Amino acid sequence: MSVTLSHGEDSSCVRLEGTIDIGDAADLKTALLAALGPRNTVEVALDGVTGLDVTAVQLLWAAQREAQRVNVALHFSGRVPEAVRAVLADAGLKEHLEFSANG
Amino acid sequence: MAPPIQSNADQFKESFREEAREILVELESALLELNENRTDPELVGRIFRGLHTIKGSGAMFGFENLAAFTHDLETAFDEVRNGRLQIGSELVDLTLSALDQIRAMLEREAEGPESAGAQTADCAARTEILAKVRRLAGFSNSVPETAKKAPASESAVTPAGPEREWLIHFAPGPDMMRCGANPLLLVRELHQLGGFSVRASMAAIPPLRDLDPERCYVSWEMVLSTAAGDDAIRDVFIFVEDSCELTVQPASGAPECGAAASRSVLDRTPQALAEARSPSGGRRTYDSPDTASSLRVPAVKLDKFVDLVGELVTVQARLSELSARRDDPEVAQVSEEVERLASALRESAMNVRMMPIRATFEKFRRLVHDLARDLGKDVELTIEGAETELDKTVIDQLSDPLMHLIRNSMDHGIEPPERRAAAHKRPTANIHLSARHSGTSVLVAVADDGGGIDAEAVRRRAIEKSMISADAPLTEAEIFALLFQPGFSTAKQVTDVSGRGVGMDVVRQRVESLRGAIEVASKPGQGTSVTLRLPLTMAIIDGLLVGVGDASFVLPLATSLECIELTRDDIARANGKHLANVRGELIPYISLRQHFNILTEPPAIEQIMLVETAEGRFGFVVDRVLGNCQTVIKSLGRFYRQVQVVSGATILGNGDVALILDPERLVHDAVRSERHFAKGHAFRTAGGHVLFTARQGTGSAGPSASARQLAN
Repeated sequence: MSVTLSHGEDSSCVRLEGTIDIGDAADLKTALLAALGPRNTVEVALDGVTGLDVTAVQLLWAAQREAQRVNVALHFSGRVPEAVRAVLADAGLKEHLEFSANG
Repeated sequence: MAPPIQSNADQFKESFREEAREILVELESALLELNENRTDPELVGRIFRGLHTIKGSGAMFGFENLAAFTHDLETAFDEVRNGRLQIGSELVDLTLSALDQIRAMLEREAEGPESAGAQTADCAARTEILAKVRRLAGFSNSVPETAKKAPASESAVTPAGPEREWLIHFAPGPDMMRCGANPLLLVRELHQLGGFSVRASMAAIPPLRDLDPERCYVSWEMVLSTAAGDDAIRDVFIFVEDSCELTVQPASGAPECGAAASRSVLDRTPQALAEARSPSGGRRTYDSPDTASSLRVPAVKLDKFVDLVGELVTVQARLSELSARRDDPEVAQVSEEVERLASALRESAMNVRMMPIRATFEKFRRLVHDLARDLGKDVELTIEGAETELDKTVIDQLSDPLMHLIRNSMDHGIEPPERRAAAHKRPTANIHLSARHSGTSVLVAVADDGGGIDAEAVRRRAIEKSMISADAPLTEAEIFALLFQPGFSTAKQVTDVSGRGVGMDVVRQRVESLRGAIEVASKPGQGTSVTLRLPLTMAIIDGLLVGVGDASFVLPLATSLECIELTRDDIARANGKHLANVRGELIPYISLRQHFNILTEPPAIEQIMLVETAEGRFGFVVDRVLGNCQTVIKSLGRFYRQVQVVSGATILGNGDVALILDPERLVHDAVRSERHFAKGHAFRTAGGHVLFTARQGTGSAGPSASARQLAN
């Protein structure tokens, strides 16, 4: 249950850890908006995630769309646990997020 | 961000607890009804849905153990629902015990972590209950691990039968997530019902900057191939149905099977469901105006609200007083407007506090069922007037007295089966709980068709206990009143149920603290009825302000009838008797000056305020009648609790304190005083009436008749 934002020279990283749900949604939105600011690359690190609810999925999806609109490369990194993938798959949400090939 | 999450989670959990408590009461009631009528499919459905809601909501709000425990019960009732399991006493009793466990789990969760010992004991009890339920329902005793961890995931609601395809549209409402619901779990639960294809629509998600992070914008179109029926599918959404848009309809045309077919149906789904959601076909939409038709508000907020309205009423009284002193039409106009609004606000506030007594009544079904079993008696509980509304404060304090009265009836009133048979009475005894309005009071009665009260035995017992002297001239009503004295019990043996002489005293104290009264009616061999006369409200009343000397009193307006003059000549003509001739009718009166020992001289012309009481019409003599007032009832504190004739105090517009009189008590008190005064004379009652009337046949207690001793 934490959202951490860090900035590199031309990139930003939003790191998610634990279960990200409605209680973290406002922080996640703020972090994603900040990450998509003037940078060319945004990484959303999901390797520490143990759960995502629909509010988190919506934000990640909206961030993907926003990145395309402003021409920023946004990618998800890290292996998302199988249990999280299963929940998202069961709800038809997995196909909307472009998780990394190994994640 | 941690604290707000915790706070939200706690809030949701508390909401769930409140809802679950209500569902448990409904479940108990439905179970006991089902015990009487074992083939009623509607009752089975109600029980199944109740258990399903507790299970589903419990899992969603983090009560995993509770959800897992409820799971097998739900499955058992699904078997009943599908005709594969018969309802019997054993299943009803097991389910009742299980409900007790669920209740205990809810409360323990609220109180914090339980001790290891308590955990082990409860766990053992729960395991035993579940083992018995499984044996009854013919399940395997080995519980799948998935059921323990994710109770919603087992196909508990899947009946056997021909499969068919369903099109389902599910769109969470704007506030569903904020209420703690998790749509992903619901979709997943649906997944467990059969072959499933799902398409999540992201089309409604706005740009990131405009997105409300706590709202769910995703909606789902699903195709489900299952043998489960429409009800089973809707049951998955039962606890969010008011905050989502849901459409369930059979896929039209020939059944198509397999993933490709499902996909193809899914492609057609949005259009089909859009048609189904049209005004003629949709189940409900969350935008419809009825979604906010009720609101759950914490009781403390309500109490605060009523307190503030009370303060406003007091300030408004001061404003009216000021306005009356200043001859300013503009101030008078504003004052009148404020008075009108304060009055309307007060009425609304009081209405908000009114609740039907149903929940309190219904929970006694369980008590009667359990006691009947323990005592080896066959007893049915009938309920009348459950929709009668009372102030929440009154209802909150009514459970204990009613419980004592019912226990007493079950234990002492209702005869053992062999005695009922010998008396040619119906084998099944009856306890009748009723409520009805009567003026500004509500009458709540517990009546039984048992052996009735042996007045002579009560009298002998009271003499044995030195509560009365052997030659005390007591009326039947006064003898019955002894039952409510501390330490009084006629029970030959003390049982777990009653007989210690504590309960009835508790009833009296509680009813008196509510400014109520108790009336007993009993007929040997036919039964007993105990009626509690309770005020409608405990907070604010409409009153009539009167003055005697420097003192001010408030009489409840609802019982006040009219005002007449009392001159010195009138007093002389009555030959010292406290009787007023009102259009030919002689009405006894009480002088408040004498009653409260006010030492000032009375004016030449006094006023008699006529009031209606259970004893008939009476007059209260005062110096002056000052007019109507809205009265906020303030407690006088525990030192004055024994002063029965005063129900509270209020602060007047000019800052003075006025005592609020209880006309019923005042008359009762005056009659008793008069009787003591007239000691040695026969205590006569007009027309043979007594303060407590005997129960006639199987009818309920009749109103106490007028006691006109004052006139004698």
